[in-house]
Amino acid sequence: MRELPRWGRALLVVSVPLFSVVWLAPLAWTVTAGLRPSADVVDSFRSLGWRTFVPESVVADNFSSVADGPLGRAIVNSLIVAAATVALGLVMSALAAYALSAFRFRGRGLVFAATVLAFMVPFEALAIPLADAARTAGLENSYLGLILPGVGNGLAIFLLRQFFLDVPHEMAEAASIDGAGPWRVLWHVYLPLTRPAMVGAGIIIFVFQWQAYLWPLLVTTDPSMDVGPVALARLFGQYGVDWGTLFAGAAVLCLVPAAILLAFQRTFAESVVGSAVKG
Amino acid sequence: MLILTRVAPTADTFVRSFRDDGAWSLANYAGLLTSPTFRDSVLVTVLFNAIINPLQVLVSYALAVVLSQRLPAVGLWRTMVFLPMAVPPAVSSIVWGVWFRPGDGIFNSVLGTLGLPDQPFLTSPDQALYVIMVIASWIGVGYWMTFLVAGIKNVPAEILEAAAIDGAGWWRRLASIITPLVRRQISFVLVAATVANFLLFVPVQILTRGGPAGSTDLVMYEVYKQAFIFNDRGLAAAQIAILVALVAAIVGVQFRLLSDPGERARRA
Repeated sequence: MRELPRWGRALLVVSVPLFSVVWLAPLAWTVTAGLRPSADVVDSFRSLGWRTFVPESVVADNFSSVADGPLGRAIVNSLIVAAATVALGLVMSALAAYALSAFRFRGRGLVFAATVLAFMVPFEALAIPLADAARTAGLENSYLGLILPGVGNGLAIFLLRQFFLDVPHEMAEAASIDGAGPWRVLWHVYLPLTRPAMVGAGIIIFVFQWQAYLWPLLVTTDPSMDVGPVALARLFGQYGVDWGTLFAGAAVLCLVPAAILLAFQRTFAESVVGSAVKG
Repeated sequence: MLILTRVAPTADTFVRSFRDDGAWSLANYAGLLTSPTFRDSVLVTVLFNAIINPLQVLVSYALAVVLSQRLPAVGLWRTMVFLPMAVPPAVSSIVWGVWFRPGDGIFNSVLGTLGLPDQPFLTSPDQALYVIMVIASWIGVGYWMTFLVAGIKNVPAEILEAAAIDGAGWWRRLASIITPLVRRQISFVLVAATVANFLLFVPVQILTRGGPAGSTDLVMYEVYKQAFIFNDRGLAAAQIAILVALVAAIVGVQFRLLSDPGERARRA
């Protein structure tokens, strides 16, 4: 794909950055809208110009009203749920992937095929019937109810297994000859060698939970258990919305995953996309 | 865990879709086949997918071709195009909904600056579905692009060099070498996009609630309405079963059409 004609390359060098900036304009605008005095937010729609994106005056009021209100509480819920899911999910996926790669047992192929198949049935298709089961099980309005669907993530298991299979068998064998049990082999051999995959799997699980909307909508009826996106949509649906608060909350919900992605950009691209090609 | 959260509910849905007032019956399915609301909802969903899936594949492939060139800071631009995927779709829907507001939204300001008349966007039965497509695509294409970039980067440089020496120009190499070699990734993206878009829910629930005049009443929203607003779980289960069967059938056809003809010949 190299050796574009020179004028074509020059065109891309200029237009690609421009395009990327325009592409993110809605997100950039969201952040600036959160920094405006509430009354100015709607005005910024009407008078189109560079002022649409650069507020005349910057205030922090909206962010403090997010922090003090139900939206702040919901964002904290989102953080708790996402963090707990990542922790639990990584343990579960690492164990599953370890069992499916390091040991040979009867039916291993079958279990793996079932895992992949289960992850191809998208969660959205099952959320509505599953919500009934969760209610009967008494998981309504509980953190556990919000966390559970994110824990068993087929994509994360698939990704880790791909990387675990690449760990040289001799290393694991050498460790067990030296007297290391299967747990120590996992902890001291497999995990250190597959850190990028663990980061990738962690991000996949985090993003799944951070974006969750339908499931939390179904299993929570108590507003104090709302997660960020659901609380935001509720606020949006009210008559006479406080736009400043709304967009300050929206900005926080965008900035958290953006920061995580940018911080782990390189590792994430390597592991997830790499395995997608291999798989 | 997977059994608990994925396999069991699948079976449960299937069983429940055949139950009506505690007895086994086909009443749920019979009711759906004759219900004009559900029929319209399926038609809207099919129309939506017939347009959005090819569109997303084309746009993400174009993005992937451009963003796999060697350009200054290309990794940064790629991450920027990918970023909407990491933002909760509820947030994206709200922001785009505000931009598309009929009275004072940014898009109407742009149209006004260009001397064009205001558009109703989400409040018009003729435009709302297309606005939802724009929003869903802005969210999705950056993600699909990453798979295609990986595919393009995997094309061996020697083949491209050989073609260049033989006098194949840039477009020729793109059409005759790169595209066929990235076929597997393109098929994957088409199938994954189809599944995701058939199950689209968030922008509809937040922005249009299926309206105006049922023009954005995608099946997922219809299922949600039946289950949690009208409280008819049996009917909702039957709707889900039909939706999943429809997606499976379409994905099956896509697989057949897209599988490499050479590979098929070898297998036969």
